[in-house]
Amino acid sequence: MNLEILSMAFASINANKVRASLSMLGIIIGVSTVIVVVSISLGAKQTIDNQFKNLSVNSIMIQATRGEGSTTASKLSEADVPKIISDVANIQTGMAVVNGNTQVSVAGKDSKQYSLVGGYTNYFDLSNLVLLNGRIFTDEEITSKAKVAVIGNTVVTDLFDGDANSALGQYLTVSKRKVEIIGVLQIVGSSMRGANNDESIFIPYTTAKKTFLGERAQVRLTILANDVKNIPMAIEDITALLRTNHKIKEDGADDFRIFDAGSLVSTAKDTSNILSILLISIATIVLIVSGIGIMNVMFVTVAERTKEIGIMKAVGAKQKDILIQFLLEAVILSVLGGAIGIILGEIVIPFLNLGGVLKALPSNTGRIIAFSFSVMVGIIFGFYPALKASQLDPVDALRSE
Amino acid sequence: MPTPIIKLEDVHKSYFLANGEEIPILKGISLEIAENEFVAIMGESGGGKSTLLNILGCLHPLNSGSYFLEGEDIGIIQDDYSLAYIRNKKIGFIFQQFNLIQKLTALKNVALPAFYAGMSKGQREDRAAEILSSLGLEERLDYKPNQLSGGQQQRVSIARSLINNPEILLADEPTGALDSKTGAEVMEIFYNLKKEGKTIIMVTHGHEVAKYADRIIWLKDGLVIDHDYKIQS
Repeated sequence: MNLEILSMAFASINANKVRASLSMLGIIIGVSTVIVVVSISLGAKQTIDNQFKNLSVNSIMIQATRGEGSTTASKLSEADVPKIISDVANIQTGMAVVNGNTQVSVAGKDSKQYSLVGGYTNYFDLSNLVLLNGRIFTDEEITSKAKVAVIGNTVVTDLFDGDANSALGQYLTVSKRKVEIIGVLQIVGSSMRGANNDESIFIPYTTAKKTFLGERAQVRLTILANDVKNIPMAIEDITALLRTNHKIKEDGADDFRIFDAGSLVSTAKDTSNILSILLISIATIVLIVSGIGIMNVMFVTVAERTKEIGIMKAVGAKQKDILIQFLLEAVILSVLGGAIGIILGEIVIPFLNLGGVLKALPSNTGRIIAFSFSVMVGIIFGFYPALKASQLDPVDALRSE
Repeated sequence: MPTPIIKLEDVHKSYFLANGEEIPILKGISLEIAENEFVAIMGESGGGKSTLLNILGCLHPLNSGSYFLEGEDIGIIQDDYSLAYIRNKKIGFIFQQFNLIQKLTALKNVALPAFYAGMSKGQREDRAAEILSSLGLEERLDYKPNQLSGGQQQRVSIARSLINNPEILLADEPTGALDSKTGAEVMEIFYNLKKEGKTIIMVTHGHEVAKYADRIIWLKDGLVIDHDYKIQS
């Protein structure tokens, strides 16, 4: 019997297709907005997670800056690392990194620009980089400033047609100097704040400074605390230590800047959450407006079918029967609209990804949210017109034309 | 005399205008109708005939008085569920303007009350087809109301009133929209239904039509002025 009420509701909708599609339009737009919004915010979350996935929340980054009003270069250097490790409490380990961009070529290929990273042997561990084959450089090679390189996966794809084995033992020409490839990294697949590890060439820190980037290349330090809760204290201690070591006067500005990964991540997440909340608010407003549209259409339908309602009551329809029938019509309208909206949203999502600016991830969460939203809109906004219909006086209803 | 199937005692019914003014329609109606009686209700326009019929059909609540249906006082019943049950199972309604649902076929129109009674689709459509055929509409089951003549539409409407096999039929000017020939055909149907045991209460203006009834109740200004009015010939 319930199935029959359903088919009756479908028949009524079918009898007025134009009006039905117009009333669905709002829901279609609302639901596809929800689908797109959820996919954009999921995409943003994933982008952030990827950006920071090579970054331990325990890490503290120190960058060289020029002190305000000072013309001298920053004194930040690799020499600060052992001092920080030994003098500051709650520090696990640390490392210094220099980097720059450089033209790289192999015999028979056009040169390409890659990021050149000079690091110590612990760079790979601390950056969560894993070898695909070959080996990383040794402490001896750092001491001897050897011209050896571990290369990122994209470099292999570009210069060796993706054949990691054939790359080992070959020589890269980096700024006119030969560098031997000793290792290839596994693909990372994402970038961390600009520097893409897949498109990088890693050489010993000493080699980078002496041969390629120069002694005055700006240094970055990464210090790892033993627990995220010790970071604020560690930052204070490091600041004091570096100021002393760099002989900065009481009123002088720091010649370095300290970030911690945890606050970078939380700032980025806050930004993306605000974006999500904003977009979801817009989608909610669209859905409410579309619900009002459905309510209007249902009122018109009830008004037009007053006589029919009178007849139904005269032959024995209960208020409940009429309420259910009209409510069902509203729900069918919004569910159909919701389904079309979901399909439309799914069609739109790939186009959003085309530009490369936005990242939109289709998800079942989005589909479920959008669909339940549309059912809710149908029930909430269909209820009042249906209630009015069910409460019509049968004699008045029969008299209407 | 056995218990009347319908008994009204001092029934009052007023309408209220938007400004609160009371327009009394029925001013104390008392009447009894026996089982299997065919009663015509006549009287001048505005005398309250249709209102009376609507009260008998449980479409209107009454303001005061009692309405006994099969000995039970239903005048006090307010809840929708019980009233809908009475309209569905106990009473069949036939209207002057037929009041068929335009988008439904004759068959579906007739089957509608059985749908609300909870009868299965197959069962109620078989029964609807059977009743329509008995009224000579076996060729018209799938016609929409606007494809049928007035007489045919009224027969569909009568079929609808019979589907749940009620004991009482209420007809509001059933021949009012028909020419005299088709009107006479419709009255033949009522005459046969009475013979089959139905109790029929019919509001009418037409003296010819009223002659089919066993008894005529004459209404004037909201009161019964004659319980057994005789038409002067």
